[in-house]
Parts: sequence; structure tokens; C-alpha cells
Amino acid sequence: MTCQELDARLDDWVDGLLPPREAAEVEAHLAGCAACREAERRLRRVVAHAGALPRAVTPPRDLWPGIQQRIAAPARWGWLSRWTSPLVLAAAAVGVLAVAAVVWQGRQPAGVQTAEIPAASPAPQPVSAEGGSLDPELEAAVRDYQAAANALFAALQQRQQSRAIAPSDLARVQANLLVIDKAIAEVRAALVRDPANPELNRMLVATHRKKVDVLRRVVRLSTAL
Amino acid sequence: MEALAGAVLGEATIRTGTDEDRRAVERRLVRDAQQGDVHAFERLYRDNERKVFALCLRMTCDAALAEELTQEVFVRAWRKLATFRGESAFSSWLYPMAVNLALTERRSRRRRDARIVATEDPARLEAAPPAPRPEQGFDLEKALGTLPPGARAVFVLHDVEGRTHEEIATLLSLAPGTSKAQLHRARRLLREVLEP
Repeated sequence: MTCQELDARLDDWVDGLLPPREAAEVEAHLAGCAACREAERRLRRVVAHAGALPRAVTPPRDLWPGIQQRIAAPARWGWLSRWTSPLVLAAAAVGVLAVAAVVWQGRQPAGVQTAEIPAASPAPQPVSAEGGSLDPELEAAVRDYQAAANALFAALQQRQQSRAIAPSDLARVQANLLVIDKAIAEVRAALVRDPANPELNRMLVATHRKKVDVLRRVVRLSTAL
Repeated sequence: MEALAGAVLGEATIRTGTDEDRRAVERRLVRDAQQGDVHAFERLYRDNERKVFALCLRMTCDAALAEELTQEVFVRAWRKLATFRGESAFSSWLYPMAVNLALTERRSRRRRDARIVATEDPARLEAAPPAPRPEQGFDLEKALGTLPPGARAVFVLHDVEGRTHEEIATLLSLAPGTSKAQLHRARRLLREVLEP
């Protein structure tokens, strides 16, 4: 074994990872080579010192207040009053949508009213991923909900075109979706300002989920009529 | 001899019981923290801060940055707490987060610093960090700062934290052979720096 070959095996030798035959070769080389013995001694010294370093070190200052400030900061709604907080808006929007769906259930079958939705009717805008970045995992969950909501809304529009839904009902759904989208936008804006707030994280996901749930229910009801 | 074996066994039993108790307490704290209990999360922080700080400190060799990273690790942990299923110890769940954060932050900081330095003095980009002077003695902590970040990360994880090459490969998304090569490089450089 040459000194170069030994150098390539020295780490495994010191770590006790060499198979017996190679270990014997290294041992034999070390017995006759002072330079390699010195290299081994220096390596063992480094490894021993590293292993003896404390695995726990106290930070020079208490880091908890900074963490607490970031994770437990009360939601900063700023200009939003108690009655227009995203939570209230979201709850109201979901409630209105649910009521709309119930009222709709009792209406006469589709095809009775044939007027188109006026062109000026506000269409619900999907909440875009713009307007500040969120945690990637949260962003991915939001994208999934948005895709589901968009697909459901497209299904509703198709039903409107095939006269399966009264235009006035679809307009009412659209109006309510605008309210819930506004709530989503508000929660999102608050999250961009305060990304660590777990309540806001939960609220954003819950509001998206509710929107999809209600849309799904409306589509199901329109199919049943 | 039997008495000695009994004493050892007894101690082991107590230790196991204590570990189980500790795990049970930790599980309860995690559950409470997942429900939004900040005080429970503070307990988890207090139990783990020193290990996380030590890891960040050695991965970055920058105390101020290690403080920032430690805070960031726990803020992220709080935000991702719902994804922790409690199948492993809380510290095991934190560990990869701390390693990855330390590596990426160090990398991005280095890029930022390089951009700033490049406009002033390009030669500085070539300069290696100053080696500890012989009169400073065998200061391994200080010598770590002279290592390239990749080699330092592997050295810290292997020789300080006691991780295997397979674990390091998983943590750092490397091949185990690359981990071994980095360790070899780090140890060689440290030998040269500490005993020139």
C-alpha cells in the first residue's frame, strides 16, 4: 500500500469502517511509515475534538421574544372594523351562498325563464396568486381550491347556457361569490402582512374550502332540477 | 456481578421510563401547540433551542446569523406544526428544517455578499477566510469557519452530530459517496489549518 492509497482509506480507518483485510493492510503500512502515522494522529485529534464539542449551545440572548412576536402577533386588520373582518365577511358570504342554494332548491324547474345574464353582471374573479407571496405549501393548497372552484363555476355557466339554471339564480350566485372572493382577498392581504399567523392560514384555507363546497352543492342542485 | 447487572438494568429501566415520560409530555405539548397554544410551543422551543442553535452556529460560523436562523426554524415549525404527526421526536422533525435553512440561507447570503464585494474589490472574492493563528491553539470551532460550506456541513453533521453518510446524503440531497468525499476534504483542510 502506498502513502497515497493509505490517505484515501484513512477516514474509513479512523471511523472503523474498513473491512478486515484492508484494515490489516493499513495497519501494516502505518507500522512502517512515520509520515502516515503522523497524518493518522492529526486526523484522530480533529475527529476527537469534533466529537467532544457540545451538541447544545445556549444562544447569547433569549430568542423566544422574537419568535413569539412573529407567531403570536394579533391579526393586524388595520382599517378593517370588527364587522368587516375577513372572518365575518367569509362567514356571511358562505351563509348567503348556503341560503341561496336552499332557496334555489324550492324554485321551479329550469327552462321557465329564458333571459340571458346581462353582460354587465359582475362575474366572480378567481383570487389570483398575485398580491404578495404566501408560504409555498399554502399557495399550492389555494391553487388547488381555485382550480376546483373555477371548474365548478364553468360547470354552472354551462348549465346556464343549456337553460338548466335560471339566469337570476346564477346572477345571485355570482353576486355572492363576489362577496366570498372579497373575503378571500382580505384574508390573503392580511396574511401577506402577517404570514406567520396560524389563524389567518387556517381561515384562508377554510374560506376557499367553503367556497368550493357551496359551489359543488349549487352545481349538484342545478343538476337535480 | 448479579447485583451490578441488576443495578445497570434498574438504571436502564428508569432511563427508559423517563424517556417515555418525556415523549408523552412532548406529545401533549405538540398536541396543545397544534391547537394554537403558544405556551406549549414555548416549552417545545425551550427544550430544543440549544441544539438547534448549536447546529445553526456550526453550519454557518456566524453567531448573529445562527440566532436569526434559530428563530426562523421555530417560526416555520409553528407554521408547519399541523403537518407533524408525532411519529418521531419533535427534535428529529426540526433537524432537517434547521439543516436546510442553514445551508440555503448561507448560500443566498454568500451570493448577496459576493455581489456587493464584486463592485468594490473583485480580489476579495478569491481570498480564503483567514486561518486561525497558531497562537490561538487548537480552536476547532474557529477553524470550521475556514471550510467551504459544503464540506463544513458534512463535517458538522458527521463528526459533531454523529450522523451517518446515508443520513447526511438524505438530509443534503447528495450521494453518500459525495458526503464521504466532502468529509475527507473537510478533515484534510482542518488538519492543515489546526496543525500547519
